[in-house]
Formats: sequence, structure tokens, C-alpha cells
Amino acid sequence: MKSVPKLIRRFVGILLLSSILLMILNIVLLVLFTLRQLPNAQPWKTAEEVVTALHQTEEGNYVLTDEMSLELSEADIWGIFIDNETKQVAWKTDNLPDTIPTAYTLSDIASLTRGYISDYPTFTGEAENGLVVLGYPQKSFWKHMWPSWDYQLIANLPRTFLTVLIINVIAIFIIYVTTNAKLLKSVKPITKGIQDLSVGEPVQIKESGLLSEISANINHTSDILQSQKYQLRKKETARANWIAGVSHDIRTPLSMVMGYAGQLKDDVNLTTEERQKAEVIVRQSKRIQNLINDLNLASKLEYNMQPINPTKHNLIAIVRQVVVDFINMDIEDNYTIQWETDAALIVCPVYADQGLLKRAISNLIQNSINHNGQGCKIYISVTADSGKCTVDVSDDGVGATDEQIEKFNNAPHYMVCDENTTEQRHGLGLLIVKQIISAHGGTTIIEHSSYGGFLVKLILPIQK
Amino acid sequence: MDFEYLKSKRLLLVDDEQELLDMVVSILKEEGFNHIATAKTLKEALALADNFQPELAILDVMLPDGNGFSLMEQLKQKGEYPILFLTARGEDEDKFKGFGLGADDYVVKPFLPKELIFRIMAILRRSYKDENPLITLQDSEIDFDRAEVIKGGEHIALTAKEHDILAALYRNAGRIVTIDALCEAAWGENPFGYENSLMAHIRRIREKIELNPSRPVSLITVKGLGYKLIVGGKQYEKRT
Repeated sequence: MKSVPKLIRRFVGILLLSSILLMILNIVLLVLFTLRQLPNAQPWKTAEEVVTALHQTEEGNYVLTDEMSLELSEADIWGIFIDNETKQVAWKTDNLPDTIPTAYTLSDIASLTRGYISDYPTFTGEAENGLVVLGYPQKSFWKHMWPSWDYQLIANLPRTFLTVLIINVIAIFIIYVTTNAKLLKSVKPITKGIQDLSVGEPVQIKESGLLSEISANINHTSDILQSQKYQLRKKETARANWIAGVSHDIRTPLSMVMGYAGQLKDDVNLTTEERQKAEVIVRQSKRIQNLINDLNLASKLEYNMQPINPTKHNLIAIVRQVVVDFINMDIEDNYTIQWETDAALIVCPVYADQGLLKRAISNLIQNSINHNGQGCKIYISVTADSGKCTVDVSDDGVGATDEQIEKFNNAPHYMVCDENTTEQRHGLGLLIVKQIISAHGGTTIIEHSSYGGFLVKLILPIQK
Repeated sequence: MDFEYLKSKRLLLVDDEQELLDMVVSILKEEGFNHIATAKTLKEALALADNFQPELAILDVMLPDGNGFSLMEQLKQKGEYPILFLTARGEDEDKFKGFGLGADDYVVKPFLPKELIFRIMAILRRSYKDENPLITLQDSEIDFDRAEVIKGGEHIALTAKEHDILAALYRNAGRIVTIDALCEAAWGENPFGYENSLMAHIRRIREKIELNPSRPVSLITVKGLGYKLIVGGKQYEKRT
């Protein structure tokens, strides 16, 4: 809902801008219209022109030029000349209406200058010894009779203008909020619903108000998503259960294979060759055992069905226990495990599920053994640096090519790959290691070992 | 061999598969166990338990007429003896760890004979003290009950911590015990930073049990990892 204030800001902005634009538009229109009126809107000027076109003859009569007379009569304008001395009309046009008086007092002259004579709008022009008065047709002009304003009003005009503007803005905002409050109120649950949808939460919005149709659609979408999620989960559970079932059913028969082969391997009554054969059976059975263990765990980790119970542990102690378990199990003579951890580093606290982490490390050691049939030295070390704890498991065995290492680091494992692959398949050991480490918020890096073979680095955050 | 007396213990074996029973029996017999009774169902096992009076029960989790956990509870009412589970299900591991059902240990199928024997021997050692309480080392003998070492006729007392450390080593005789596990045995849960104290204690233990403490033959250091107690002299190590 962060976007709502932004929405309001934007809307008010648009409204303000449009009102200002509207104002400008109005002014432009006004100017355009008045401009068109201008040619016949200059009666004061015409009066001046009449003054210059009016001449006194030698007999003392006044004569207007023919040109001007024609202009006046065409526009239906009458004119008189009032003499300064006598206050009498000394000249008049032929079309002077009867209602116009022929003598004037001072107050008459003040009144006609501002306004009208018998409803004819009048305009004056000052001559040498009199006053020219032009009378325009009735209702052709409207005259402002009292052209004066309070001085303060004019002086405060900018401030007044600003105040009005601010009041306008507030008014616009109030109008916006009141008209849109209802809309916003119905939009709010919808935006929340869409947000929840995007993270896969179930959504149920009240289907009422202005946008009830949209609410109904969102609810419907949520139902579909939830049911798909449920179906998917069901399928995943079924698959994980199927794998668990298969691995369970293999365990009991495999127990017997391993049990008897294990006995034969140590039977002193058999020939060396026979005991070696038994040993191969044991070794291969162990491979099957590892595989079914891994298969089960990998599928559970992949579908998030493996409970992870992290507590605070000393990573060094966990790794040490795994190494010791391998040594105690009597791994074959041609494999040796070298503990390379600096003796000064005693504690490396991490937040981890001990069982899973042990599994990851023993998978790496087992990998080194499985891939180096001729035997190898396995080097294990724990280091702590800048908030990270790193476990290195490396060997001096056959190692891998650059291309393979690139694949181990980046390509998806066949088990979690959604395409058909013809790639040569490798075990699940590394996949599980990666899954476990990433479930602990760590990273797995596969590299060439400085000892000549394979190196896997497990990097976990240190728990303070 | 020091633990020979444990092999006369009576073992009750319960599993619904006859062939698996046969195999485990053959493994146990080969190892020298002679008193073994087998049952294929919960009912059979309960009936047998009254007469046989087992000293260790090895139970499968899945039985045709019930599960191993309920069998364990009923057996525990009849007598106090350790229980070892054989399970084919990985999920059971969580149960054993999580709920502390009272089982002494569990082995996940499939298993190697050696592994099963080691677990059985470890449980028996924990549960049944030797009639002869002395543990024989190359140069001395340990008496855990009296917390003392007998070296060349001389009785040397062990402190409480030395006793705990030696006992932890003895429970895993012939195997490496990690520094961390030994610290935990002596100082309890999450024993961070006791490594130096442990080294001091080991030195003192060696002075008591070894003829030449600077060249130990019974309490061996495995550098960076832990320590190993060799019981009964060199022969024992070769034997396993």
C-alpha cells in the first residue's frame, strides 16, 4: 500500500496543473474575443478624431469634414459641440435625436462624460473652446459609472491572489479525498489481496463495494492457486513416500546379503580368492546402502519434507566426529584421512542440524573413497575467517576436469532436472551435500585440490 | 580377552523374517554367543521372555502383530534389561533421537556383522559389570568401582574427572574417541574451550597407567582428533 500516497500526490498534481492550464486558456480566449471587438471599441478615439475634423468657419459656424460625417452617419452615431462660454450646442449632426437637450449645465457635462444622455452612451473629445460629445446607438456600449477601487485592494492584490490559490488547492484536495475515499477503501483490500497472491498466501476478500467483481475474481484465482499447490504437494508427498517405501523394502534383503558376505569375508576357512569375492559383495552392498540412504534423504530435502532441527554446535567437533567414525570403521588401508585443522582453532560455532551436517561431510569423504579405487589420501580442515566457517574436504586422487567441475558447480542434478538428460549420471552424494548446506544458509564450492585431486568447500555462517 | 564373560549373556532376538533371524543368529554364534532365543511375533516374544529371562533384547520395529516400541514397553515391565532396535526405516532414526523411547541403541538395516557385534558388545559392557572388575591394560589395571589404578602392585587413586575420561575411553575401547566427546564426558554439554584442561588430565592419567608416560602404549594420541584406549594389550586391537 506504499503506492497510495503516491497515487494521491499524482492525482492532485494533475488536477492543479489542469486548473492552471484552464486559467491560461481562459485568458487567451478572452484576449482573442476582445481583440475582435476592438475596431469598433474605440469611441474615445473617434471623439478625438471628430475634434480634429471639426473646423470653425469665418462666420463662426462649425463644419465637419464630409469624410467624418459619412463615417458617423454610417455607424449611426450622432455628435454635438458644446461651447465653453455659452454651454449651448454650437454644432450638431443631422441625425441628432429630439430627446437630446441643446443646453447643458456643468453637472450635465460631468454626468454625460461618465455615462449617458437619454440612454445613448456618450463619449467626449476636448476641443480648443468647447467639448465634442458623440452619442453612440443605445445598447451599443456599457459604461462603468464609478471607476474607483479601494487603494488597499489594489496594493494587496498579489497576496490576495496567492491566498485564493492556496484555498483552491485545499478545495481541490478535499474534493478529491471525499470523492475518492470510497474508491480507495474498496481498492485497499484488493491491493492487499494481490500482494498476498504473489507470495502464494490464500486470499479471501469481501465481495462488496464498487469493485466487488474484481474481488470475486481475485478470490477465485486464489482458490485455483491453492488447489494447484495442494495437488502439487500431494504429488510430491506421494513421490517421496514411494521412494521411502522402495528404500525400506530394499533394506531387509540387503541386510542378509551384507550380513552373510561380511561373514564370508572374514571366514578363515575360505581361500583368499573366495574371501576377496565376498569383500567385493560387501563393498557393492555398501554402495547400494549409501544409494538408498541418499535417495531417500535427497527426495525429502528436495520436497522440504526433511525436518531440520538446528541448534548451536561446534563445527570442528562435528567434522572431527565424522572423521573419527570413518577411521573407527576401519576404512581400507589404501585410504588415509589427514586432519589438517590448525590446533589453535578450537571452536567454530554454527547453527546446524548435527545429523544432516555429519551426513554432508561423510558423503564427501565417501565420495573421495568411491571415486579413487586405487586409494588416496583425504585431507580435511576447518578454518574460520570473517564471519564464515569453511570445511575443506580434498584428496590427492584422480580429481575432475575443468568442464566437470563447472558442471558440478552449476548444472542441476538429474534428479532435480526437469528435462530428459542423456548425461552420464553421477551419484546423489554431492546433491545431498549441496541441499544440506543450502538449507543451512551456506554455500558449496567445488574446485581442484592443491593436493592434485578433488576439493569441496563447505562455507557456513558463524553463529555469534 | 576381557569381555568373554559378556558372551554368555542371554539374547532375545525378534524379527518377522526367518532368514534374517537365521543370519543374525549365525553372526552371533560365530562371535561366541551361545544363549540365543528367537521369536517372530510380539506374542511369541512375550511368551518366551517369561521363561528365557533375556539379558539383552534385539527387536525389529515392524512386527506382524504390533510394533517393536510397544513390545519394548511390555518387556520393560517384566524385567530391566537393555534393548537394541533393528530398523529398516530411516524415519525411525528421528524417533530414537527425538523421543528417547528408552531404547539403548538402534542399528539401521542393512548392517555389517562387525557393526552389529560392536553395538551389542558396547551395550552389554555398559549394562553388565564384569564379575572381575579389573580392566587389564598393558602396564596396569583399572578398577572403575574403586576409581583406582593398580600399577606394579601399587594402588593409585583416580580423580573424578580422570575416572570419567577413562570410562568414556573404555566404553569405546580400541576406537578413537574425539576430544569433544571426552570433554563432554568430563564437563558436560557444550564443553567449549576445555581442550587444554583435557590435555592436562590425559597427561596425569598416563602418569598413572603407563610405565613410560612419554611413550604411551595404552592411551594413544590421534593427533588433532582424539585419544584411543588399548585394552588388554596389543592383542586386543588386532583381534577386532
